[in-house]
Amino acid sequence: MSDNILKRRKPMSRKARNRITAVLVTSLTLAILFVFLIPLMYGIVTALKTDAQFSQIGAPLWPATEAQFEYEGETYPVYRVPLEDRIRDMALVVKGRQESQFVDINNPQAGLITWEGSWRALDRDWQLDPQWQNFRVAWNTINFPRLLWNTVKYAAITTFGAVFSSALVAYGFARFRIPKKNVLFMLMLSTVILPGAVTLIPTYFVYLQIGWVGTWLPLMVPAFFSWGTNVFLIRQFIMSIPLDLDEAAMMDGASPLRIFFSIILPQSVPALTAVSLFHFFWAWNDYFNPLIYLVGHPEKFPITIGLTAFNNLYSGRTNLIQAASLISAVIPLIIFFFAQRIFMQGVVITGVEK
Amino acid sequence: MTASTIKKTVKKPKQPMTNIRKKEARWGLAFLSPWMIGFLLFYLLPMLASFGFSLLRFNPAVPDESTFIAFSNWQRAIMVDREVRLSFIRTMHFAAISLPIGLGFALFLAIILNSKNVIGKTLYRTLFYMPSMIPLVATVLIWNGVLNEQTGWINMLIESLTGIQAVGTQGLRWLADPQLVYFAYTMFGLWGIGNAMIIFLAGLQGVPTELYEAAEIDGASWLTRLFRITIPMITAVIFYQLVLGVIGSLQYFLAPFVLTGGSGFPQGMTRFYMVYFYKQSFSFFNMGYGATLAWLMFIFALVLTIVLFGTAKYWVYYAAEERK
Amino acid sequence: MRKLLYLISILIIASMILTACGPVNNVPPLVDDPVVDDPVVEEPVVDEPVVDEPEVEEPEVEEPEVEEPEAPAEKVLVRWFVGLGAGSDEGTFEPQNAVVEEINASQDEFEIILEIVDNEVAYDTLATQIAAGNAPDIVGPVGIRGRDSFFGAWLDLEPMIEEFDYDLSDFDPALVDFYMVPEEGQLGIPFGIFPSFMIYNFDLFDEAGLNYPPAQYGEPYVMPDGTELEWNMDTLREVAMMMTVDVNGNDATMDGFDPENIVQFGFMNQWTDPRGIGTFFGAGSLLADDGETAQIPEPWQEAWKWTYDGWWTDWFIPNGPYGGADFLQGPGGPFSSGNLAMVHLHMWYVAPWALGDVGFDWDLGATPSYEGTITSKMHADTFSIPRGSSNPEAAFKALTFMLSEEFAPKLLQIYGGMPARLSLQDAFFDDYTDANFPGKTINWDVVVDSMEYADNPNHESWMPSFLETTDRYNEFWGMAANTPGLDMDAEIEALRQDLQDIFDAYFTLQN
Repeated sequence: MSDNILKRRKPMSRKARNRITAVLVTSLTLAILFVFLIPLMYGIVTALKTDAQFSQIGAPLWPATEAQFEYEGETYPVYRVPLEDRIRDMALVVKGRQESQFVDINNPQAGLITWEGSWRALDRDWQLDPQWQNFRVAWNTINFPRLLWNTVKYAAITTFGAVFSSALVAYGFARFRIPKKNVLFMLMLSTVILPGAVTLIPTYFVYLQIGWVGTWLPLMVPAFFSWGTNVFLIRQFIMSIPLDLDEAAMMDGASPLRIFFSIILPQSVPALTAVSLFHFFWAWNDYFNPLIYLVGHPEKFPITIGLTAFNNLYSGRTNLIQAASLISAVIPLIIFFFAQRIFMQGVVITGVEK
Repeated sequence: MTASTIKKTVKKPKQPMTNIRKKEARWGLAFLSPWMIGFLLFYLLPMLASFGFSLLRFNPAVPDESTFIAFSNWQRAIMVDREVRLSFIRTMHFAAISLPIGLGFALFLAIILNSKNVIGKTLYRTLFYMPSMIPLVATVLIWNGVLNEQTGWINMLIESLTGIQAVGTQGLRWLADPQLVYFAYTMFGLWGIGNAMIIFLAGLQGVPTELYEAAEIDGASWLTRLFRITIPMITAVIFYQLVLGVIGSLQYFLAPFVLTGGSGFPQGMTRFYMVYFYKQSFSFFNMGYGATLAWLMFIFALVLTIVLFGTAKYWVYYAAEERK
Repeated sequence: MRKLLYLISILIIASMILTACGPVNNVPPLVDDPVVDDPVVEEPVVDEPVVDEPEVEEPEVEEPEVEEPEAPAEKVLVRWFVGLGAGSDEGTFEPQNAVVEEINASQDEFEIILEIVDNEVAYDTLATQIAAGNAPDIVGPVGIRGRDSFFGAWLDLEPMIEEFDYDLSDFDPALVDFYMVPEEGQLGIPFGIFPSFMIYNFDLFDEAGLNYPPAQYGEPYVMPDGTELEWNMDTLREVAMMMTVDVNGNDATMDGFDPENIVQFGFMNQWTDPRGIGTFFGAGSLLADDGETAQIPEPWQEAWKWTYDGWWTDWFIPNGPYGGADFLQGPGGPFSSGNLAMVHLHMWYVAPWALGDVGFDWDLGATPSYEGTITSKMHADTFSIPRGSSNPEAAFKALTFMLSEEFAPKLLQIYGGMPARLSLQDAFFDDYTDANFPGKTINWDVVVDSMEYADNPNHESWMPSFLETTDRYNEFWGMAANTPGLDMDAEIEALRQDLQDIFDAYFTLQN
């Protein structure tokens, strides 16, 4: 509709139109992004607060501490107290319900001044004071290098295994006429459909019998035998690749394996990237599986288990939890930032090849 | 119903397989072998065992006291236990809200973040993906914080933007109001949209660029291009998202369980089917009954999946249909 | 074709080796599986083998693992599972490890391996282990609640107590009986006791100009005008309302009080459930004496209604919406936020890791009475041995070490419990203060006195379909905490009816 209106007007240059669209779409994206990231901002801000700020009444939303003033060897919070003539910065020395005693921070020699009213209604002198050391404390409280290293290994190895094996299997499902293929495919999907929790105990039992409990093996080895959701997704992509190329290659006498490596895989780069990211982050956030198989072996724990050490029964320190979580998100973020560039290249590859 | 009803695009020739077909099938099976071996080694036995559990009264704390009770669990689940039906209806109710919103939003994001008109999209993609990276523990704390009726940012924002009273016990109690709670959980789910987004993004890379160029020459509008080219070309990925979305909705469990400890708060609204399953299995230790619930769900989800696969031939486009 | 199969099998084998090597590289010689000694490590993914090692600066943790292969055969491994109660928080990991190492070094019969699991998932994990036949050898510290969640899974210690001639004379016989469960046997040996009492925030009382709660049982509460009131629930309610303040500085007894903007609360039964709150008014059980009827004891009904009014009309207890508000999120729950004047809690809360690093001064006070009776609910922790343990004898031996006069005090310092051993009780509080609150004067007398008023029946005691019943009343409680304007009598009756249904279903199954 808008196109029609535009056409009736003086034809705008294509460049100008593109520019307007770009500005509109970008600002729309930014607006959505802003709303979308509010909770994340909350998380980051939380990570930068002091323990005390959460529970301070009237504290601002951003990380801040109130100005303090030292008086006779003790520190007291500074309030903005309205006196007859003007508002003065005064330190609250003795709190009271009806009246409180303050000391003027610019004139402490004058001693205690009694002010009638509720100190809770007074403004305070909040100063921006992000607690960057929360990140250091979080970093030092749990053994991040070891936990992250364990997680990177777990995520990288299983991702490699699960994506590669799934690509093979997906190729099989997508390109070959196999008797009862649909039944087999449903059987494969059934491992996705049946909730993992119900097979937890027998699965644990199986790994216990072969002596794998207490090692990474139950978490890693199955990944090398393909992964239901990955197979399904890669199959969808392979089925979207036209047959012409593999048929041409087959005419030339290329074996299916060659076709897989030289035609299917290169064409599926965006899909494989997506699946890899997907699997990598899944493994990165996996908590219960590593826990149940690695319990009693803290030296093998991944980051997720280390993080729960913060959020335990009797001492939840929200700011540190957020700080630690943000630290643990840095590596996947960097990986994502670089990996997703492949999507840009993906356009080129498919565009050229066809 | 068997899976053979799914695809009838190819009429199977009744004559014995030719050598070429045999060879093709053998190659195919070879490619499937990693899955088949893995399935036999790691999945088959536990699956069968879990079905066996459904025929037992089985408390994991005292496994030696298990007793065989045939189909009593099944009878209880299907005929007696009202909560099974109620929690199932809740699950479907929530899925009806969250699944379209979730899929729609992910697709929408992927399309705008794939558009050449957006400046700085690599950064946006990363930022949209970022919440998926935050560990669950922290995510739950964040959402409990921003959705809090007294001090949450969301209510403060709404109140300052619209002037409607949103803060306080009279305001918007996202997690406590039965009318709002599914939307709160949907928001919570949208936050982890990153995975769906990258899959759609990957799908969009497969759309041949010359189609757009041709359309642009024809003067097709953006919407026309979206509905005539983009969406039809990525139906294979949409189909995947739909199937996994349906399965995921039926298995929906973690968020309500972590946010409410499985209490079903408010008014049982969040006691979804899988929450109930989990409570029976791991809170009440009625593992036999829990296995029954899981298998009931499994059967339902499998049938639904097969039906979805049956519909695929009407709307899903594969560039490579099977060789004739 | 054959080539392909060959290639695939190579791939599979290579990947398995790769996987097997991956985790092992990082771990010192103690290797968990025999498949690994393949030298083919140089696969691409694992190309940086042991960079991690030098960074690990915890020789105490690594050391025994490395030594293990050298002295392997003799020592029986005893797996100790922590997580059902205290001991799963981060601050306690290292001290527990230290005690374990000390016990391991002190003898050469067994080797304890610590398995600490976060409380949230400890039940699932333990259930999986037991069901799959991999039960740990010792579980604990575990309270009555944790123990009864795994009803039937514990070993009767009686035969071993006799076999090893274990001396129980240092324990209060009543406490030993506490772990004697009919038809199940002696499921534990007393270890730590956690009486409950009031904890209050000095600073908030000072600000209000009110007197502190009584430090001793029997003392009255002195109002600002000098009148003395019996320290009972009515007095507590009144004081707590005066300690509840809105943003303008008005307290909950004043006319202009704004319940929408409360910034400080007066009282809370922190971290307990409806049975615990009911017991605050008097001991009782949801199961009537006939062993099959569901009941809500009279004092519990009163306690619940008192609490409900405290949430929604008297405003001195944080209700559901306020409970999640930022200003009550202290490092150790609402009390340690500094905006809650009084809580009633157990000894395990009086520990730096539980309370958090708080900036205000606090002390302990007496539990108020209800209709002339004082009830201070008690937690008692023990260690139990699962029936599925593969080495019950070694486990029992390890247990005797953990409960001994030498090691029990060390563990109790970690968990914050009072020793169940009579001989240890005198020295305990001094050591505990020195170790955890150096320089602080704490009114420990009230802790000892609180034991006199322990709840009987215990508020955590067994009921039919334990977990389902717990779930049902917690759901009721969550609803009440979030819903103003309820007819509590009707809701309580509805709950009782539901509990009766659960009990009936249980007894039908049993017969």
